[in-house]
Amino acid sequence: MSLHGLLANELARRALPEGGFVDRPRGRFRVDATAWGILASRTIGWGREILEQQRSRLVREQGEDGRVRVSPQHPECYWPTALAVLAWEGSPASQSAQSLAIQFLLNTTGVHFAKKSESPLAHDTELKGWPWIENTHSWVEPTATCVMALRMAGYGQHDRVHEAVRMLLDRQLPHGGWNAGNTIVFGQELHPMPEGTGSALASLAGAVDEHQVARSLEYLQGEVDRLRTPISLGWSLVGLAAWGRWPSKGGALVERCLANQSRYSDYDTSSLCLLALGGLAGEAKSDVPLFQRLGRNQASVVVSS
Amino acid sequence: MSGSVNQRSTVGLTRRQLLLVGAAGLAMGSGLLLVPKRYFRMPQHAEAFVAKVDHYQLDIADVITRGIRELGVSPEELKGKRILLKPNLVETASGAPHINTHPLVLRGAVEAFLNLGASMVMVAEGPGHRRDTLAVYEESGLADVLTEDRIPFHDLNYITGYELSNAGRQSSMRTLTFPGLFQEVDWIVSVAKMKTHHWAGVTLSMKNLFGVMPGIYYGWPKNVLHQAGIENSILDINATLKPHFAIVDGIVGMEGDGPIMGDPKHVGVLVMGRNLAAVDATCCRIMGIDPYRVSYLERADNWLGPISETAIQQRGEAIASVQTNFSLIEQIPAHRGIRLA
Repeated sequence: MSLHGLLANELARRALPEGGFVDRPRGRFRVDATAWGILASRTIGWGREILEQQRSRLVREQGEDGRVRVSPQHPECYWPTALAVLAWEGSPASQSAQSLAIQFLLNTTGVHFAKKSESPLAHDTELKGWPWIENTHSWVEPTATCVMALRMAGYGQHDRVHEAVRMLLDRQLPHGGWNAGNTIVFGQELHPMPEGTGSALASLAGAVDEHQVARSLEYLQGEVDRLRTPISLGWSLVGLAAWGRWPSKGGALVERCLANQSRYSDYDTSSLCLLALGGLAGEAKSDVPLFQRLGRNQASVVVSS
Repeated sequence: MSGSVNQRSTVGLTRRQLLLVGAAGLAMGSGLLLVPKRYFRMPQHAEAFVAKVDHYQLDIADVITRGIRELGVSPEELKGKRILLKPNLVETASGAPHINTHPLVLRGAVEAFLNLGASMVMVAEGPGHRRDTLAVYEESGLADVLTEDRIPFHDLNYITGYELSNAGRQSSMRTLTFPGLFQEVDWIVSVAKMKTHHWAGVTLSMKNLFGVMPGIYYGWPKNVLHQAGIENSILDINATLKPHFAIVDGIVGMEGDGPIMGDPKHVGVLVMGRNLAAVDATCCRIMGIDPYRVSYLERADNWLGPISETAIQQRGEAIASVQTNFSLIEQIPAHRGIRLA
């Protein structure tokens, strides 16, 4: 079965009749699964009516100030907001929800502080991005998804996006790649990770010059063949596709990763959709970053050097 | 027995504590209470079991079974119980298997608990450094072992949580959100790695429990806990969760810039016990570190468990027979001055 067909089947199996997606087959509704499910179902051409039903479910999960939370009991866990902005893109019915979420993101940041001279941290702790959770520091993946969401929604020239791009470049490891967001601690350069690297590269495509991320591209191209799990492989393929480097073996890598479900059981919906989007990114034959291709403002260059 | 900076009196108080008690008396006399409550706690007692295990190919299940028995865990306590083993899976790096609890220690623990009557044993982890738990599970070699043994593995980072009031009240966190899976198990066992840590001094069975806090609520890294204070959070999680047992993999530990960038350190031991503070204090002494100088252990003393040598009944090998100094880094504040005198 084609990846397209497989994804269609899985999405149908995981969609709730009242809208939204479950976290895994026979599981519970989850906000992030719903956002990823919408992105995936839009990519494979689901009809407007069913997409709107999914999106409206996501609207119902939005807080009054625009944040989209993991659950109403945990308003501090607002990391799905950027995913919701991406999922609502192109939907007139969701426009006000999307605008509110965008304003929330533009007015929100992590905990930032001036670094003391004796600090063991090498990164610039004052450059603002976005955190996973309220009142914590800004980290790579949430910042990358916010940059993607805001660029796609037409905010590529906003000061917050400019600063977040600088933050991501500052968090790039000297030898290439990104991890969760620490570079050098107590004089030792930390290890890069595929998921951090892929998401950062996807967000920076078209926003920075290639030479600024050359080592990271090299790192990820060297890693991708060995990746067998959906989050690492999915973000890697999305990131490489954004720079026109989707690997020739990409389809086989996705197939191998999908086959690994016999060992790990069904992947959760968010991971599966990310993996599928990474696989489909190679079929698109386009250098335009995947998430930006979904949007109305496809090539908003932010920082050229 | 190794010496300690704080020589303990027969009633379980250190000289320092006696001085503080005296100071508290003066302070109370003047209408002030300046001394933390922990200095007035009743002394506690616990047991720790140390076994020599030179390498991972030995019969670890047998060693753990023996340890559990020597620690007085009765068959009735384990019969029909569902056991959750929480390893220390952080991240993987080429040539650095000493970052994570060795898969064969987990295999040994699974076999031991099943042999002793547990109805089910599962392994569960929520790594703080990596969003991709399955990648750590696979690249650490644990997936091969557990798949072969048909033991379930659960990714704690994405499991919907349930809230408990923060019983430790050391940080400003009013509640803690644990994975819902914990409501379905009877015993939680911390299967940690013996390592130095550049923020906390050491990471052993207590610090290992950071990994039970789901990433969807605490982030990657679990920065909510860092903001609340690493030491406060260690104490809060342990006080609230009340884990049942600890096994520390010190066959090959990590010294220097732990928990990920340090060097391998062969010690050749497994350390076990029902009380995590006592197990960690014993590990510290094996590592040549004074537990009273590791702030969170000192604060846990006689609250979450005893850390005094006189209050911990040592079973198995004597500490002195396996003690080997872990290298510490002077430029790391958490390492300064913690060497056992």
